[in-house]
Amino acid sequence: MRKISWWLTGLCSASVFAAGSEDRQLSLTIYNQNLALVEHIRPVTFTAGPQRIEFAGVSAQILPQTVSFAASNLELVEQNFDYDLLTPAKLMEKAVGGKVRLVRTNPATGVETSETADVLSTTGGTVMRIGNRIEVLRDDNLPARVVFDKVPDNLRARPTLSVLVNSDKAVEQDVRLTYLTRGISWDADYVAVFDEPGGVLSMQGWITLMNRSGTTFANARTQLVAGDINVTDSEESWRQQQVASAQRNAGRETGSGVQLGDYYLYPLATRTTIANNQTKQVSFLDATAVRASKGYEVSFSRFFSSDEPVSAQVRIRFSNSRAGGLGEPLPAGVARVYARDSRGQPQFVGEDLLGHTSAGSDIALRIGDAFDVTVTPTVLQTTKVNKRVTEYQLSYLVRNARAEPVTLTVRQDGLMRVNEVRAESIVGRRTDADSFAWDIPVPANGENTLTFTLRQGW
Amino acid sequence: MVWLAALTGAAHAQEVQIVSARPDSVSVTIYRDLFALVTETRTVDLPKGPVTLVFDGVVDSLIPQSAVIADTQRAVAESNFDFERLTPANLLRNSIGRNVTLTRTNRAIGKASQVSATLVAANRNGVVFRTLDGNEALLCSGIPEKLSFEALPDDLHATPRLSIRLASGAAGKRQVRVSYLAQGFAWSANYLGHMHADSMDLSGWITLGNLTGASLRGAEVQLVAGRLNLLDADEQRGTSTFGETQTFSTDEVLEAQRAERLLEMFEDLDSGDLDFEYFGGCYPLGTTSTRDAIGYIDSINAEDIGAFPDSNTAEALQRVTGVEGEMLDEVVVTGFRASMAVRENLADYQLYRLPVRTDLNARQTKQVAFLQKPGVKIDRFYGVRFAEDEEYPDGEGDSMATQVKIAWRNRTEDGLGEPLPSGIIRMFEDSGSGTVFAGDSHMSDSPVNAPMEIAIGWSPDLSVVVESAFDEPQPGPMTLLTRRAWMPLDLRIINAKPRPVVVEIRQGKLFYVFEDLQVTRASEPPKRKAGDYAWRLTVPANGEARLSYKVGGRLRDEDDF
Repeated sequence: MRKISWWLTGLCSASVFAAGSEDRQLSLTIYNQNLALVEHIRPVTFTAGPQRIEFAGVSAQILPQTVSFAASNLELVEQNFDYDLLTPAKLMEKAVGGKVRLVRTNPATGVETSETADVLSTTGGTVMRIGNRIEVLRDDNLPARVVFDKVPDNLRARPTLSVLVNSDKAVEQDVRLTYLTRGISWDADYVAVFDEPGGVLSMQGWITLMNRSGTTFANARTQLVAGDINVTDSEESWRQQQVASAQRNAGRETGSGVQLGDYYLYPLATRTTIANNQTKQVSFLDATAVRASKGYEVSFSRFFSSDEPVSAQVRIRFSNSRAGGLGEPLPAGVARVYARDSRGQPQFVGEDLLGHTSAGSDIALRIGDAFDVTVTPTVLQTTKVNKRVTEYQLSYLVRNARAEPVTLTVRQDGLMRVNEVRAESIVGRRTDADSFAWDIPVPANGENTLTFTLRQGW
Repeated sequence: MVWLAALTGAAHAQEVQIVSARPDSVSVTIYRDLFALVTETRTVDLPKGPVTLVFDGVVDSLIPQSAVIADTQRAVAESNFDFERLTPANLLRNSIGRNVTLTRTNRAIGKASQVSATLVAANRNGVVFRTLDGNEALLCSGIPEKLSFEALPDDLHATPRLSIRLASGAAGKRQVRVSYLAQGFAWSANYLGHMHADSMDLSGWITLGNLTGASLRGAEVQLVAGRLNLLDADEQRGTSTFGETQTFSTDEVLEAQRAERLLEMFEDLDSGDLDFEYFGGCYPLGTTSTRDAIGYIDSINAEDIGAFPDSNTAEALQRVTGVEGEMLDEVVVTGFRASMAVRENLADYQLYRLPVRTDLNARQTKQVAFLQKPGVKIDRFYGVRFAEDEEYPDGEGDSMATQVKIAWRNRTEDGLGEPLPSGIIRMFEDSGSGTVFAGDSHMSDSPVNAPMEIAIGWSPDLSVVVESAFDEPQPGPMTLLTRRAWMPLDLRIINAKPRPVVVEIRQGKLFYVFEDLQVTRASEPPKRKAGDYAWRLTVPANGEARLSYKVGGRLRDEDDF
């Protein structure tokens, strides 16, 4: 009890120090999940005894519960994150019980007269006592300036982090302040230029930093963590369950990057300034000769007839292996694919999401629907074989309006538990327990038809 | 450490900054999903040392992640896109702690007095400043007050800025290519078909629009037809802001989604959903009288904050964009322009190139012809389809209307043989009194060699009367054993036209209680069309034709449901 009262008296007389905004060192570790770990190392001059230290220039989207403060020869009493913003209304509210100066201007002559007023109430309107009169501020709608001698300490222009400490001695020393913040994130972006005749993909990778935290981070040592860390109560956590559609076979190669636990760490080589509302891109990958091929796929999960042809999906397939020209883990991001037009100018042809992809994985980027390669599905006949099994006769007419032959992979997916192909015009293969696939070769400017008979049931 | 960027520049405070004001030339490729790829060529004169290159005048709807800067012949340390805009709110926010000048004007005598002040706080709830007198709130005194600023904060820009930091290298002029995706461009295809007895003259028009505030002068313009895979901004970690193209959506669905996004885009513009926030607010100013507290309202007027670029969003919007009504009004122009857009293959899509460079001004739409095919062979007929999702005969005397159908095959032998991007096709026909509009239809992407069939309306002159007495399958003596039942259909097709016409009757899947749907005992043998049974009958002028068949199948087992 005695100790508490000592603190209370201590606090009343505690001196306030602004720790300045000059960092000796600022470090950022940025995650994919709209989250960053910020570390400020700042020189602070302490006096002996209890005192409050304010930190300006911390992120406006700081998560106050994650703040940690480290310095030697100090006892940390409490840390505060003040949201009490300085506004005209707050200023008047805090003046209740105190005195303000009222400067009236004579509307006709412009002559100013000054009076001292006691602020009595600010509910609904500002009620003041001037001398022995009670008045409502600007009740007469005539100009009147209210001048406040002082801004209360706990009202701030920006949200401010402060700590109460008790220092053993007067000393200037570095303190370390770390916290997590929202509003800053990174993704990878890939620019892939596909040379179809050459079967080569040139791929550039960019790290894209986005700062919407409300704060500029100047001259910061920056590193990025790739991987889906678990973030409680994040609206994005559902995404961790998803497997990006583009990855086909998980790889087993180890990349040359720095590993942090189970994640990959990408440090930027020099310090950089990340301004508020800035999108910054830094190159991290430049592979010019990745072997790649194009494929057409279409997948049906039911049996149906259609008058209108269904477009085939176009995919670009490549391997993220050293032998294939890459061999590095690829952090998750959007891959934008370009192809050159007849004048050699790159044109955008589609984008796909790449998940965190370990080295050695097979990747098939879906870029879009083919204009010239289509399938027209027709159910020729359905026949009940017995109570549980039905037989379907299907035909898939594939048209190719391109000037070169193509191969289309048709997949019949989502079949019932018992399933079997009884007859087929092109030999297909079972791809898993409930799907079959056929590779249909189609000549240039021609067509080909796959017909098959399939039984399914339970 | 292969992951490290080749950053060799010094701290960029010492770096030289070079501003490229405008591109030498620009190329725009417009996609159907309301965005475009903008490729600019810019000449820059690079010094030997590290340099920051600033590109002014980029289209402000650019998607920063998509920006690619090529041919600098130097290592790019980093590229930045700053969208901290110069707005009144940002100007105030970035001036906290700085010196400003406060001007007060006495309304009555018109005298302005200036006082030096420091900005103490500025946020949505108001502005507080400090003078030698003490602390005061802005625009609370009833005296017209305005703030003026000594200089613009460095980190605010009138328009979003794209910049790159380059490592040192050889000095000299070079042509740099800057490309990026930008939202707010659109194009659509429209067709006009002039029908004759068994052919049509088909022409195609491209309507393209620039919905952004940027004007592109002397631009090479390309258009891409095809469905690109695009990621949804809401669902993906990427920052692409397009809607997702669904695997099996029809073109109509895509068209509807596109129209929806277009509408949203206009609503955003109309609602003034820009970067502006208003910094206003005072301490409580009540009054003892019952009138409205006009003093408070009076003190915040446009005049007082007239020092700012735009005092309200509506004004800003009008000045900047001149928003007016819908942009892509369809204009059907008859007759042909001499120059047509030229087509080529781009990957698995079609690319159309406008024949000459053109100005693509802000909020402008343009039309250009891309197709002119006279004498395309067509098949005109009338159609009716019985199926569970369409027509359903409901017994004796039921008369069904027929659809007016036009079919063709997109091949050279028949006068066409050109890929046709999806769009609206409008059909016209000559009558005794001139050309009349015969109806329109949506047409999906049509590759070469593919058949196309459209329905442009309903015919009052051709009706199909159901003469049979039943409207559902009738169990026969063997039904208990075979679980099969049949519905007999007798159809009478009546032609009120003074010429013979072709009618197509299609029998699709009818009863959901049935499997193994089959047609038997047909008075004419059926053909198959897209899984249906189909007949084509010629009905004589002012005459009639008959068709009868039985349709039915195997009753579903009860435990199938």
